[in-house]
Order: sequence, then C-alpha cells, then structure tokens
Amino acid sequence: MNGPGIGWYVIVAAILFATGAMGVMLRRSPLIVLLSLEIMLNAGNLTLVAFSRQAGNLDGQIFALAVMAVAAGEVAVGLGLIVAMARRRLALDVDQASALRG
Amino acid sequence: MIDTPSVDWLALSPTLALLGASAVALLVAVLLPAWMRKGVAAGATFLGFALAAVLAGVVYEDTPRPEALLANSMYRDRLAALAAVVLAVIGAVVVLVSWAERRRDNHGEYYALLAAAGAGMVFFVGAGNLMTLFLGLEWFSISLYVLVALDTDRATSLEAGLKYLIVGGFGSAVLLFGSALVYGATGELGFSQIAAAEAGQDAFLVAGLAMILAGLAFKVSAAPFHMWTPDVYQGAPTSVTAFMSAATKTAALVLTLRLLVTAFPEESEIWTVAVAVIASVSMVWGNLAALAQRDVKRLLAYSSIAQAGFMLIGVAAYSERGGEALLYYLVVYSAMSVGAFAVVAVRERELAKPVTLEGLAGLGWERPLYGLALWVFMLGFAGFPLTGGIFAKLFVFSAAYDSGDWWLVLLGVAATAVSLAYYLNVVRWLYMRTAAGTPLVAVGGSPPHDPAVGVAVAACAVVTVGSFFVVQPILDLASEAVDSLPF
Repeated sequence: MNGPGIGWYVIVAAILFATGAMGVMLRRSPLIVLLSLEIMLNAGNLTLVAFSRQAGNLDGQIFALAVMAVAAGEVAVGLGLIVAMARRRLALDVDQASALRG
Repeated sequence: MIDTPSVDWLALSPTLALLGASAVALLVAVLLPAWMRKGVAAGATFLGFALAAVLAGVVYEDTPRPEALLANSMYRDRLAALAAVVLAVIGAVVVLVSWAERRRDNHGEYYALLAAAGAGMVFFVGAGNLMTLFLGLEWFSISLYVLVALDTDRATSLEAGLKYLIVGGFGSAVLLFGSALVYGATGELGFSQIAAAEAGQDAFLVAGLAMILAGLAFKVSAAPFHMWTPDVYQGAPTSVTAFMSAATKTAALVLTLRLLVTAFPEESEIWTVAVAVIASVSMVWGNLAALAQRDVKRLLAYSSIAQAGFMLIGVAAYSERGGEALLYYLVVYSAMSVGAFAVVAVRERELAKPVTLEGLAGLGWERPLYGLALWVFMLGFAGFPLTGGIFAKLFVFSAAYDSGDWWLVLLGVAATAVSLAYYLNVVRWLYMRTAAGTPLVAVGGSPPHDPAVGVAVAACAVVTVGSFFVVQPILDLASEAVDSLPF
C-alpha cells in the first residue's frame, strides 16, 4: 500500500470520533449537536474505507456508501425536528429542553 | 456475464408485506379524502402486520435448518422467523391501541411510520453481517424518531423526539465505529466469517466488540445506556411508547444474542462478563429509580430498564437454555408491556392529561376490567404465579445458575423483591378511593367507547396468563429457534 500506514488513518478517525463525541456532549445548539453526530459517523466511514483498502476487499467501501445515505436520512429527520421546534418557538438549546425529568 | 444473485423472496416476504402496508398508508394520506384516511391507513397497517406474522410463520415452518442469503448478509432461520412473528403480533396489537388516539390529521403518516418501523425490525432480526445490522437498526430507529415526535403540538413530544434522535444517533455512531474496528481486525463483515477469521489485531477486535455491545445496549435501553428511556417513554405518544417498549427490545435483544453467539464465540469470556455487568446494573438501577416515580409512563420506563436487565441474564448465560429463556421472557414481557401501556393510554384519553399514580386512583372501581388487566400485568412484571412472568424469571435464573453465574441469580432475586414495592404500589393506587368530590371526568367529557383497545388489552392479558399454562409449547418453539444458533 502506498501512502501513510493504516495506523495513521485509524488515529485520524479516532480524533474525529472523539471530536464528534465531545461536540454531542458539550455543545448546546441542536444544530451543532447534529453536526457532531455526522462527524462521528464519518469517523466510522473513514475507518471502514481505510480497512477496506488494507483487507483488499470492497465490503468496507460499500458499507461506507450505505452509511452516508443513512446519515443523510438521520440529519433530515433532525433538521425537521428543529424546524418544528423553532415554529413552536421552543428554545433551540439542548440544556433547556428539560420539561421531561424525574 | 455477471451472475445475478438469486433472491429468496419468501424469506424477505414479512418485511415486504410491512413495506407494502407502509406505502399504502402513506399514499392514503395524500390521495384519499380526510374522513377515510384513518380507517384505510389503520386497516392496511393491521393487515400488513397480520400478513407479516403469517408469512413469518410459514418461513418458520419451512426452514428446518438455517440458511445464509444474499452473500451472507441475511439469515433465513427459525430465530429470525420466530422473532418476526412476535414483532408482527406486537405491531398488530399496537394498531388496535392506536385507533382511538386523539391526533391531528396525520393518521396516514403515523401508520406508515409504524409499519416501516416494524419492517425495519423484521429485517434487523435476520441481519447476517455488520452492514445489514447497521442498516436495519437505523431503518427502525429513524422511523421511531419521527413517531416519538409526531404530536408536534405537544412540546414534550418534540423534546422527547430530539432527545431520542441525539442519544440514538450517538449510540448508532458508537456501533458503527465498533463495526469498523471489527472489520479492521478481521477483514470481514459477515457474522460467521468474523468468527472464522483469524483475529489479527486483537485490541481492535475487543474494542470493536465493546463498542458494538454499547451501541446495542442503547437500543435495549439497558443501564448505563438507558438515560434517554424515561424521557422518551414519557414524552412519546402512549401508543408509540407501547410499541417501542416491546418491539425495540425484542428486536435488539434477539440480535444481540445472535451477534454475540455467531460472531464472537472466541471472545465469549469477555462478553459474558460484560453482559452480566450490564444486566446487573440495569436490574439495580431500573428498580431503584422506579421506586421514586409518580408518572406512570416514567415508572413503566424504569421498569422496562429493569426487565431488560433480567432478559440480558439469558444472553449472559451463553447457553441454549439461556437463549430459550430469553425468547420466552420476550414473549411474556412484550404482552405485559404493550398491555400496561395500553391501559395507561385508555386512562390518559379519559383524563386528557398525563397519568400519574394519583390519576390511576379509582380506575379499578370505575373500569373493573381495565383495572384487573393492569393488575395482571403488574403481577406479571413482578413475577407472580398464574402469569408467565414467574416462569420467565425462573428460566433466566436457572440458565444463569447452570452457567455458574450464581451471583446474578442472587442479585436478580433481590431486585425482584425490591420491584414488588412499586408494582404493588400501582395495584394499590388502582383500588384507592378517589378523594371525595374530586371528579375524574375528562376535560372534554369521557372519550367515546373504544372496543379496539379493549381487544388489545384482552389479548395481552390472555398471553400473559396463558403463557403460565402453556409453557411447554412456547419453550419448544423457542428451543427450535435457538437451535439455529451455533452454541
């Protein structure tokens, strides 16, 4: 294999995954949270594609393509929810969504 | 010339029947006049679920030994077929529960999403590689995110939907990354190929296994991955909660069993311990937190976390008996859970506000049959005789004991004892006289008589009690289903 070794890809993906996970946990705007979820999914995609090259079969790349489609669907639903909340003038802040607790 | 793969349409037929029902319900929302929409959409969805149950039954009869389909991406076996029957019956009962739900004019969308979620689950339980696992999981999860948030005029429904989306998406991403690591370690995606592969980088494999397990535990709503459950169960429309609590758990637990046993037999020493720990944390935390709840849907949510813990004991046992115990437990649990939420839905429609324990007061006198049914479900959850709940618990405990996990048995018995407090508390509130002069009539008057939900509750009660008397037939079915796994 030309280019950097597999370890580097995994390290980049792990950093991406951690960035996304921190974003989901720390940021308050649901839009940024959705974005962070995307970053997490793409960390998985990068790993899949890198390992697919290493393993010499295409399973991982096909998986990554399918994940992209699914991620788009998930974001569409998330944005729809955010629009519905904005229409009802609910605060777009994850920390303030606390009517349900106990 | 490229060979076109031959597709086993019969094995896919339950999924396709539900997808068809979903398409019909969605078209109904656009093409038919408003007054016909509810009836046609609900009818089509009910027929879809019924057809899926029958077709899955045919697949069960017709598949004496497991087969791998479509480049090993799907399994056609009795485990998937039995789980599909259970899921389809849950779906059909939930259609009955949903019938009288007050909603804006979005019946078509509601039933379309319900059928789509059911189709995703039926697909999911037959998954044979990590890709179909992820796709099936997202398929039903995305449908459920929308279903939870469907009452857009209630702020709590939207809040629950957003929370479920964020936490569910997080769980899926963890599962995906874990799948990628397992793929990296073995170069394979198929479950049986992963088991056969020489694990190259062991650290990747174990880390991936841990992340996949965590991702599935989010869906099973086992502690410590349960934090979304109470909020979402409370905020979602009650009929959706009924569906989620029974069907999502069934699908996720069956797949957890299949994945761990098929793909990771070499690592069984690791995952049996991990699953046992998750099970014990769920039992302890679910039962203790349920003691403090006033809202009945929230209480049942914590109860479902605890029940997930009991069911995971069957997985942790890593034996055929454990698998049988899990399947038996799932049948009984699904009936009790759908039934209990259905009674809550009835009460909620009557009071036109969320049901607290105080809101249940007097239900046993005002509506004796619903009260009796809820009583049966609570006793079943607690594991009393004359309901299948007792055998469900006994079977998982004996499976755990056979595998040497005696400490899980002790913890389970202790957790059951604690759970008596809140289950019996619900029964106590049912027969509490309401404070003098407090009218319990709904703001908008009593809702119209609704035989559909009555039929649903009766069916759930029959299964709950019936499973006590016909243990052996259910166990035989479960044992043939578990035979398709390589123990």
